[in-house]
Amino acid sequence: MNAEELELKRASLSALASLLNLTVLPVIGFIFLLFLYKQTQAQTIGRYYAVLGIKINLAAAIALIIVTGLMLLLGGFYSPWTWVFVISYFVFVHALFILVATWILVRSWTGKKLTTTFL
Amino acid sequence: MKYESQGVAKLYFIAAIALFVGQILFGVTMGLQYVIGDFLFPEIPFNVARMVHTNLLIVWLLFGFMGSAYYLVPEEAERELFAPWLAKLMFWIFLVAGALTILSYLLVPYARLAELTMNDLLPTMGREFLEQPTITKIGIVIVALAFIFNIGMTVLTGRKTVINLVLLTGLVGLAVFFLFSFYNPDNLVMDKYFWWFVVHLWVEGVWELIMASLLAYVLIKVTGVDREVIEKWLYIIIAMALISGLVGTGHHFFWIGAPDYWQWLGSVFSALEPIPFFMMTLFAFNVVNKRRRDHPNKAAVLWALGTAVMAFLGAGVWGFLHTLAPVNYYTHGTQITAAHGHMAFYGAYVMVVLTMISYSMPIMRGQKAGNIKAQVVEMWSFWLMTISMVFITLFLTGAGIAQVYLQRYSDDPLPFMVVQEKIAIFYWLREAAGLVFLIGLILYIYSFFAKGKEVEFVEG
Amino acid sequence: MRETFTKGMARNIYYGGAVFFFLVLIGLTVDTVNRLPETDNSQNMTELVIEGKRLWEENNCIGCHTLLGEGAYFAPELGNVYTRFGEDTENIKAFIKYRPVEGIPNRRSMPQFNLTDEQLEALAQFLKYVDGIKTARNWPPNVQG
Ligand code: HEM
Ligand code: HEM
Ligand SMILES: [Fe+2]
Repeated sequence: MNAEELELKRASLSALASLLNLTVLPVIGFIFLLFLYKQTQAQTIGRYYAVLGIKINLAAAIALIIVTGLMLLLGGFYSPWTWVFVISYFVFVHALFILVATWILVRSWTGKKLTTTFL
Repeated sequence: MKYESQGVAKLYFIAAIALFVGQILFGVTMGLQYVIGDFLFPEIPFNVARMVHTNLLIVWLLFGFMGSAYYLVPEEAERELFAPWLAKLMFWIFLVAGALTILSYLLVPYARLAELTMNDLLPTMGREFLEQPTITKIGIVIVALAFIFNIGMTVLTGRKTVINLVLLTGLVGLAVFFLFSFYNPDNLVMDKYFWWFVVHLWVEGVWELIMASLLAYVLIKVTGVDREVIEKWLYIIIAMALISGLVGTGHHFFWIGAPDYWQWLGSVFSALEPIPFFMMTLFAFNVVNKRRRDHPNKAAVLWALGTAVMAFLGAGVWGFLHTLAPVNYYTHGTQITAAHGHMAFYGAYVMVVLTMISYSMPIMRGQKAGNIKAQVVEMWSFWLMTISMVFITLFLTGAGIAQVYLQRYSDDPLPFMVVQEKIAIFYWLREAAGLVFLIGLILYIYSFFAKGKEVEFVEG
Repeated sequence: MRETFTKGMARNIYYGGAVFFFLVLIGLTVDTVNRLPETDNSQNMTELVIEGKRLWEENNCIGCHTLLGEGAYFAPELGNVYTRFGEDTENIKAFIKYRPVEGIPNRRSMPQFNLTDEQLEALAQFLKYVDGIKTARNWPPNVQG
């Protein structure tokens, strides 16, 4: 495999790791992602997707863990209304992150960057 | 349109859309009865409205599946439909039988209907979704057999594509599992157990085959991606659907008196059920991303992508939410179930039928794609219906969580009716979202009549 | 997907997986049906109970209520109504019998089904029998259903 093919492979692996971290392998997926980031060279497609994956997962961590934590803290653990918001919010926003990561995975397979980037 | 006989699909689609309107009108009626308890009482009690709502849903989806098959199968098989006249005849029989059944729900008390149709000879009525009089059920079987014969002969004597074979398998499965609706043992646990052989093995089994093949067909048409690639995806999606979904039926056997081992089996296998839905999303995203052409029917592409996403949300995510036995212990039979049921049915089956209609209707009307204005209106209706369905789901989920907490989880559980009053605000919000859905549906119908600039088609 | 994973392999997984798990489902079903007598309260399934089940169906009670968590969510769970009504079938019968024809203003109301006393008895016996089904973990979680 030449350098370019290697970076393409790292790109799709990074996108996969980011999706896994959001779904069935939380934390482990992220460690794998950091590991991939270290392997990639600057200015390559591999680096682009590794960075994108890290950003997405950090954003997800804030939106899911920190925001839910705050909701629990402010709303109180023993109020039904807290749980109404926490569970609906968590499920819905989590699903949106998964969908975005899925689109990124599909893009990484073509070896192109995203056409619009939010992060 | 390549083959003359594909045109029969139009009849089926028109009927499907008309019945869809009826379904939603009764939906918003019930939504109001949820908060204004005596609305239309005793003329249209809630249970009657509910039967009309759910049975219309099933009947119009069946019209949609049949229309889709009549459109798709000849083109894939590269021959005319085996017997177009039979397709037309069955259309009218099914429409008249369906309409009569719905009218009888509204005009005759249900117990009287049971008596008139001699339910005692072969009692099958009065079970959720299977409320039709036995004679109607027999009619459904006859129509289904004629339909499958017609489609089957077309498939078997023509070019055998993977899409056609998978679709045919799904349709045969649909008919076969419906036969369980005639089995109504006196033993309630047995009755419940086998009832799911219709309901679960439909929506989380054979209907997924139908859905995946329709989606694959439209995606081939609008993206021009290589058939080999699409067929590989199709096989692996339906493989995962059946591997997870068959034993996954166990997620309905937790609390009905069946053996305890179902708690493990049902939880583990149904936890895998989101996989096929996720793969459909991955598949749709992937082929649209790799498309070889930009099809002029933008609306159809939007519906196809929307189907994949919403089916994943409704069936995959909202299904997973309550499928593990320890969670289901609390959520079983609450508004959480209703939330999931709505988004899953809409996202998977309503949307896939609307995708097929969106793609094929313009062609049957002699265009490649609808005119620009028609497409814009159609896309507006897509967003209105889809977003309002997301909100319906979120409001019902909120209602469900509060219900579980107050009625089942707290140390001092409150009675059902007391809880319902405490959570009425969610039902009001759901009703508002339901009205937006209705507006979206009206726009959808208008899109078929909108006049505007024709689109140009550039072959890529 | 990689080229090493061919369409033929995908097809075989589909056929093999579908057939295998279908057989598993049938096997489990046979086992379940064999074990049901331990939990399904069939020893108390009298003629009256069976008639009650038919009445339950022919009046479409499931269109508003849940029964062991399945049905509609408009009205209370009835799988444990016998317990909730103080383990007395007379209470159940009286409730069904005295529903006002025009409903209760502004509230969700249950229709008046005009059942005979024998029919009321059958329905109440049916609900008592359902309450006797041994559900896992004694579902529902508490008396409110
Ligand atoms: C498109 C596919 C699906 C459709 C249309 C659908 C629809 C429904 C409907 C209408 C019900 C309520 C049935 C009743 O009235 O009792 C239901 C129940 C249920 N569904 Fe689905 N479903 C789908 C897929 C899934 C998946 C993939 C899962 C799991 C991951 C799932 C998990 C459940 C569970 C656990 C229940 C029982 C809820 C309860 O205990 O009350 N569903 N589904
Ligand atoms: C848009 C406005 C709608 C409203 C206000 C509405 C309202 C309702 C209500 C009140 C129920 C009865 C819940 C209960 O048993 O207590 C119900 C049931 C149901 N509706 Fe709708 N509905 C709407 C649209 C739809 C659509 C678009 C679909 C299909 C995609 C749908 C499919 C169903 C199904 C499958 C059930 C049975 C649910 C279950 O058993 O869990 N509804 N609906
Ligand atoms: Fe299911």
